[in-house]
Amino acid sequence: MEYVASMLVLVGLYIILASSFNLIIGFGGLISIAHPIFFALGAYTVGVLSVQYGVNPFLSVVAGFFVALVASFALSLPSLRISGDYLLITSIGFQLGLLEIIKNLDFVGGASGLGGIPNVVSGQRNLVFAGVSLGLALVVVLAVRALVRGPYGRAIKAMRDDELAFLALGRNAMNIKIAIFALGSGMAGVAGGLYAYYYQYVTPDQFQILQSAMILTMVVVGGMGSVLGPVVGAVLLLLLPEAITFLNLPSAIMGPLQGVIFTALVILFLFLRPQGLIAPAKPTLGGH
Amino acid sequence: MLDIQTLLQIFWTGLANSSYAVLLAAAFALVLKVVKVWNFAQAGLMGIAYYTMYAGIQKFGLPAYAAIALGAGAAIVAALAMEVWGLQTFRRRHSPPLTFFIFTLVVSELVQYLLAMAAGTEPVSLATTLMSASHIVGGVVISEWDLKAIATTVVMMFLLYLIIKRSRQGQFMLAAADNPHLSRLYGINVRRVYALTFVVAAILITAAMYLFGTRASMVPNTPLEMMLFAVIAALLGGMGNVFGAAVAAVFLALLRAFSILVIPSAWQSLILYALLFITILFFPQGVRLTRRARKPAATPAVSTTPADA
Repeated sequence: MEYVASMLVLVGLYIILASSFNLIIGFGGLISIAHPIFFALGAYTVGVLSVQYGVNPFLSVVAGFFVALVASFALSLPSLRISGDYLLITSIGFQLGLLEIIKNLDFVGGASGLGGIPNVVSGQRNLVFAGVSLGLALVVVLAVRALVRGPYGRAIKAMRDDELAFLALGRNAMNIKIAIFALGSGMAGVAGGLYAYYYQYVTPDQFQILQSAMILTMVVVGGMGSVLGPVVGAVLLLLLPEAITFLNLPSAIMGPLQGVIFTALVILFLFLRPQGLIAPAKPTLGGH
Repeated sequence: MLDIQTLLQIFWTGLANSSYAVLLAAAFALVLKVVKVWNFAQAGLMGIAYYTMYAGIQKFGLPAYAAIALGAGAAIVAALAMEVWGLQTFRRRHSPPLTFFIFTLVVSELVQYLLAMAAGTEPVSLATTLMSASHIVGGVVISEWDLKAIATTVVMMFLLYLIIKRSRQGQFMLAAADNPHLSRLYGINVRRVYALTFVVAAILITAAMYLFGTRASMVPNTPLEMMLFAVIAALLGGMGNVFGAAVAAVFLALLRAFSILVIPSAWQSLILYALLFITILFFPQGVRLTRRARKPAATPAVSTTPADA
């Protein structure tokens, strides 16, 4: 039961990450792979606030949301100001550069990581975290659904599908891009905060390119631009590696093997089913 | 207190170390110019070339030239496979740019993981010793590797210049880069041009990785960071300007070399990422050197009105 509950915590966390990333890449059409750095910023914010200042857990997670949201401007403003293409390139540098900074800062634990994050749940820890994680995941999925089905969502999709026509209508595409990038990043920050409280230890290595590949795989395999796609992708891709853990392979093989599975799946889906397992709904003439 | 010899030594070492960066930047910029793809899979090709050469030299005891040929062959096969089975398919389907981005990036990561599984994550180098015989010229230490690296880079870049500017295939490359649809109408086989571009890029990458591997050691995820350098140089040199990217790579390498005078070693690796931001912020179209404008002629020699056509 404990094992299942711990898996459910991860499922909830990755649904938040995949859904928020889908908002950016699937609905917004903004190509970035730096989502794990916002996850990291949320985790480190919670780590520092709880370890060094004893801040209330709820407020710490909220702070994680805002730190990730504000940090997203540092990436989106310079790169989107010029062209969307630059976002991907800048995002690689942003992620690796910030991780390099974290590795050199003593007050966040440096390369060895930040430990001693307090346990905020006393009894039935795994079950409580599973409940909170899945609850937050549900909130995020419903929030994304409400957003993309509303008038703002239609504007987002119009911008993604034909930016020139969107601009010709007098709409400001830049504001929408920055806003959805910030919102998606903030959601990743919330997942990071929860992650830090659950594992009570964060290290820069947990937020490397492997994480980017994993989240991207969940979105591509599940269905980019569909609300439920990332949910399916997250569940599937968290259960799949569990199958290979029974092979009892050494960790030096296990890590890269997981990476091979994730990346090979993305390539397969790009060729065989580019729309993913759950294709995005096609607009009807009625607009519904 | 800094003396002139120290500065000259930093300059020389920075220049020698820029050799492989120049080749990598040229390869990246060439694909970007002709194929119009941000080829993030270049990091994967770098890994394939490097580890093939490593296996040839260290595992099978092949001489260097045979290992280089083997590495180039592997990189060319991988590049062509990616172009023929991957990029051509997406072009045929009129896939959005996002698909090309994801594909090249994920191919790069896939290769990285496969190499980690096959060769482990311990650093490996192509030479048994990374020390090279050195000479002191005017107080500056000049190693034989430095000379070999600079000479190789100059020769490779000259050959690239000849291919692009003086060969028929090079002219086809420029035509396809300029307008692929019009090129097709003129009978140019654009698919073959793209394939040739990847072959040339793979050869440049192999040469760069050989130079790097005889100077330093590498782990499977090293190429990603090295490629980032090439991306910055390609941006700084001007989008699709192959020789501009090469010059930018020299500039960036020298900048990084001289930064040791003012930036602590622990923060050295951040320079690359800071440069990326500075480039995007201030030089998104690359650095353009201004030319003196020609005086307009008093009367036009040839009329260009449609009526003359």
